[in-house]
Amino acid sequence: MVETTYTEELIHRLKTGEISPEEHLEEKLDTIRSRDSELNAFITVTEELARKLTQKAAEAIKEGHGELFYGLIWGIKDNFALKGVRMTCGSKMLEHYVPPYTATPVERILENNGVIVGKLNMDEFACGSSGETSYFGPTRNARDPERVPGGSSSGAGAAVAAELVDLALGSDTGGSIRNPASFNGVVGLKPTYSLVSRYGLADLAMSLDVPGPLAQDAFGIALAMEAIQGYDSRDRVTAHRRLPFLDSLDSFDPDRTRIGFTEALLDGVEPAVRKATLHVLKFFESKGTEIVEVELPDIWAAFPTYYLVMYPEFASAMQKFDGLKYGHRVDGQTLYDTVARSRAEGFGKEIKRRIIMGTYISMAEHAGKWYTLALKARSMIQRSFQRALERADFLLFPTVPVLPFKLGERINDPVQMYMADALTVPANLTGMPAISFPGGWKDHLPIGVQLLGNHFQDHFIVSAVRFFEKEGRPWSE
Amino acid sequence: MVRIGFEIHVQLKTDSKLFCSCSTRFLDAEPNTNVCPVCTAQPGSKPEGINEEVLRKAVQVALALNCKIKTEPLRFLRKHYFYPDLPNNYQRTSEPFAVEGELNGVRIREIHIEEDPGRYELRDGTVDYNRAGVPLIEIVTEPDMHSVEEAREFLKHLRAVLDYLDVILYPQIGFRVDANVSIEGGERVEIKNINTIHGVVKALRYEISRHKRMLQMGKEIKRETRHWDEVRGVTVTLREKETAEDYRYMVDPDIPPYHIDPALIEELRAKMPELPFQKKERLMEQYGIDESTAWTLVLDKELGNLFEALAKSVGAKNAASFCTNLRGELNYRGIYLSEVPRRERLEKLAKLYFSGQITKPVYIEYMRKILDDPSFEPQAQEQLSDDEIREIARQIIEGNAAAVSDYKRGEKKAINYLVGQIVARTKGRADPKRAIQILREELERA
Repeated sequence: MVETTYTEELIHRLKTGEISPEEHLEEKLDTIRSRDSELNAFITVTEELARKLTQKAAEAIKEGHGELFYGLIWGIKDNFALKGVRMTCGSKMLEHYVPPYTATPVERILENNGVIVGKLNMDEFACGSSGETSYFGPTRNARDPERVPGGSSSGAGAAVAAELVDLALGSDTGGSIRNPASFNGVVGLKPTYSLVSRYGLADLAMSLDVPGPLAQDAFGIALAMEAIQGYDSRDRVTAHRRLPFLDSLDSFDPDRTRIGFTEALLDGVEPAVRKATLHVLKFFESKGTEIVEVELPDIWAAFPTYYLVMYPEFASAMQKFDGLKYGHRVDGQTLYDTVARSRAEGFGKEIKRRIIMGTYISMAEHAGKWYTLALKARSMIQRSFQRALERADFLLFPTVPVLPFKLGERINDPVQMYMADALTVPANLTGMPAISFPGGWKDHLPIGVQLLGNHFQDHFIVSAVRFFEKEGRPWSE
Repeated sequence: MVRIGFEIHVQLKTDSKLFCSCSTRFLDAEPNTNVCPVCTAQPGSKPEGINEEVLRKAVQVALALNCKIKTEPLRFLRKHYFYPDLPNNYQRTSEPFAVEGELNGVRIREIHIEEDPGRYELRDGTVDYNRAGVPLIEIVTEPDMHSVEEAREFLKHLRAVLDYLDVILYPQIGFRVDANVSIEGGERVEIKNINTIHGVVKALRYEISRHKRMLQMGKEIKRETRHWDEVRGVTVTLREKETAEDYRYMVDPDIPPYHIDPALIEELRAKMPELPFQKKERLMEQYGIDESTAWTLVLDKELGNLFEALAKSVGAKNAASFCTNLRGELNYRGIYLSEVPRRERLEKLAKLYFSGQITKPVYIEYMRKILDDPSFEPQAQEQLSDDEIREIARQIIEGNAAAVSDYKRGEKKAINYLVGQIVARTKGRADPKRAIQILREELERA
């Protein structure tokens, strides 16, 4: 049994003064300097800002109120606004864009003595599952630099795994937190939709986007969520809810828990992923947890539905980038020519693909046929997950059907690439919370296992991961 | 048969914009100072709204136009098109929240809420986003008006209702009108963005006669959208139906559907101020004035208020006559009384005139000066004595031998010319009635 985990230990050392925030920052800056030229996890390192924030945290600790973070080092995915620091969204379009305001979750990190050391690489506008579509070059997997780190929060996954940062803020629209958490062997939570404010998070698909944390362990996730969760008047969809992440962290009771499981969610996954998933399931069973067979007859529809919902919302969100107000600009003969040229040059291939698809789907003559249909399918899927979660407290299944693949292996095959999202999109379509954590290792490659809980049961699935960290061991061959 | 229908955009008088807390007073600030990340659509910003004050004002208008308020949740849609004045390159517009109303015999089809775009200056290529996000309502009528006059009457009545509710952000701007017009045998043509009632009248006249000419020449009137060129006084083609844009309407995922509280509707119904129709009835009954005068008074809210104030000091009959004269002068200038600064000067003028301290010509002259010169202050003028008038009359008779001999030959009208000379010479300080009397006496003697 593990006594204490990475983040918990670190907080203890910072709190007690065993290590000062300044020393801790210097250590991280050294690691970034030595490893990031290879990993490419950062787009912007904010060394000066980090030093200032560290000083502030050190003073707060001295005065006895260094909570929640006591100077823990954060990396922020580069689609969150931080006033005065450029926000690129991994795109040429926003290469030089400096936001005039700060995103709500980032503000809350700063208020809680978090130290932001930089903005993290990502797939362009969060469109990608491999970390390869960034204008600033691909990020590499922290466990194997030949392989992709997953995406779109690629820098977040790699930076946490390589210990360049203690915690990272990512965003998840179809798996963008859980996928890189899985590929890099760290923990990542996609919270319940509406639990965390999206104010200051650049849009991908507004009805699916959620900010969430990546960490070394469940404790780090709980700590981060304590800070960033809760209502925000600047984001109308946020709920008046706060969940007891830290208070319930150690209260997981395997005897009084039912886990939902279905073979349908193991369909077509790689053997090692399957083995790791069943291993974690058996662990819980051995601790007294009841395993319940659930049915998800609509699961096949999740994947096409996700794309039919996401494309039009994305096309709408990208409409604002016209080169006229901010962002990359190429002057043309006429106004519309300028807009067209700016967009043609500023956006990468995947962005254009999605804008064209989204525009096509949402055209008047197709709207009734596809978008409306997709919204219907979405409520159908929601209902079937809801029913499954009436019989179980959470569902357990793999995060990604495959192991981290090699760079360049799938980038030219969008369908293959999209398949990596098949098991992560249900949580976004249903708005339910899902967490990915290392459930096994195939040689040096991590395998993420996912728990999906009911709305506002985020703290519960985090406590289940905590239980596994303390009592269980990841699978390995 | 002519059929005319309107889409009327009204900027609502609220403190803050529809989706953020920036001020709506776009005319009173330096360009791009009433802006924030939300109304400039910075990446990552989200609508904060819906501003409740907008809902209140919108529901008030709907109730005053006898609409049914919808009880199902109100959704906002994104209407996509690229234009520099539109920060998101989509405009947020609600579904209709009110339907099936009526005003002045014209059916109101629906009312919905929209955000105004910024202001794009085509010539120098600049945009001012102070206006971006200012709340608008769009009132859509059925094509129930059958002549330009009916159309004008409707717009005047609508304007009056909006003024009585005090919901127009800038009275000097008023509202923007898109007019739909068709005549028997032709398709419907839409004329976009006309800024004044006067402009609507001119545009409709032009367009109807254009349609008639086209049909006479055997040409087809195609369904299209036209632009009213105020300067040249013509309408020109903007786009034809075949090239109509696809706005890719989509429910805005960032704005949860809004429930209009039935209790709010009842509260606003109970608090509804007196409306033009009710005021017209009251003025007729209370002051014994005829219906047409009463309409003249109530269709300009401030004029109606002035009338009631004057009725107390100079009597209802005098007040009505004063206000009718004033209405004529305002019409000539194409303005509402509310646009006249320091309106207390008009009350002063009425008192001066009806207490006999100034003559009628001076009264008319002063009225015009008050409307045209904000610094002008009406003063009582000393009236000339009979002896002074007599002296001037003698001089005029001496200097106008021809007119005098015309008069003597029996052309009694010649006296008008001579009186005019006296009035001019005395700069209106001679009472014309006295002047005629004295002039006659002097002419007899001459």
